[in-house]
Amino acid sequence: MKKNVYELKYRYHTGSVAWVLHRLSGLALILYLVLHIWVISNLNNPAGFNKVMAFLNEPLFKLLELGLWGVIIYHAINGLRVILVDFFGGSKNQKKLFWGVVVVGIVVFIAGAVPFIGNLK
Amino acid sequence: MNIKFVPGDSGMRRWFFQRITGIFLVVLLLVHFTIMHFIGTGETTYQTVASRLASPLWKTFDLAFLVFALYHGLAGLWVVVDDYVHKDGWRIFIYSLIVLGGALLLALGALTIITFSPQMLTTVKM
Repeated sequence: MKKNVYELKYRYHTGSVAWVLHRLSGLALILYLVLHIWVISNLNNPAGFNKVMAFLNEPLFKLLELGLWGVIIYHAINGLRVILVDFFGGSKNQKKLFWGVVVVGIVVFIAGAVPFIGNLK
Repeated sequence: MNIKFVPGDSGMRRWFFQRITGIFLVVLLLVHFTIMHFIGTGETTYQTVASRLASPLWKTFDLAFLVFALYHGLAGLWVVVDDYVHKDGWRIFIYSLIVLGGALLLALGALTIITFSPQMLTTVKM
């Protein structure tokens, strides 16, 4: 059998883990974007729109929405780290930057989760 | 910062625009989440959406959001395919799906935003 040179083998360290997570979260966000555009296209039918929205206000979807907030926060803040590394000479401090992403990410996630949960009925 | 683009499709423009659109998306997303989930009731109804989307300013905001998010997402997907799919036939097939799907989603999203006009709320069954 021919050896597959494109085998998915990564050496794991902070940089590569951040990169793999960035891709996985990105793929999840594309899936969400497609569903989002489709759901919002119901706006041409007010009654239908409210019906869909009432369905999406169920606790299960609220929990998923909180998960979405977490995925977005990771992708956004790690994306800013990538920009710092690529454009602003952050490569020397890339490990510190990774842990910065973790800390800032947790803080921003909680800062959003508190009012989000507070708004639930 | 000193960026020189090399001629041809090296992917460098895609790399660069991924970062530019990313920065815009962070800002747009923060506004979006604040409006939708952090202030107000957190409940999305036709009435709350319609009251914003009636204004040209919000239409512009949402259109920009749509274009940036679609471009950023599909360009990301493009690179993932570039990395893991190596058979020419499959690559062409998936790239075509991305272009076609992107065009359809852009059309659907843009039509939703541009053609939106609030309908009589009395006709809305709650």
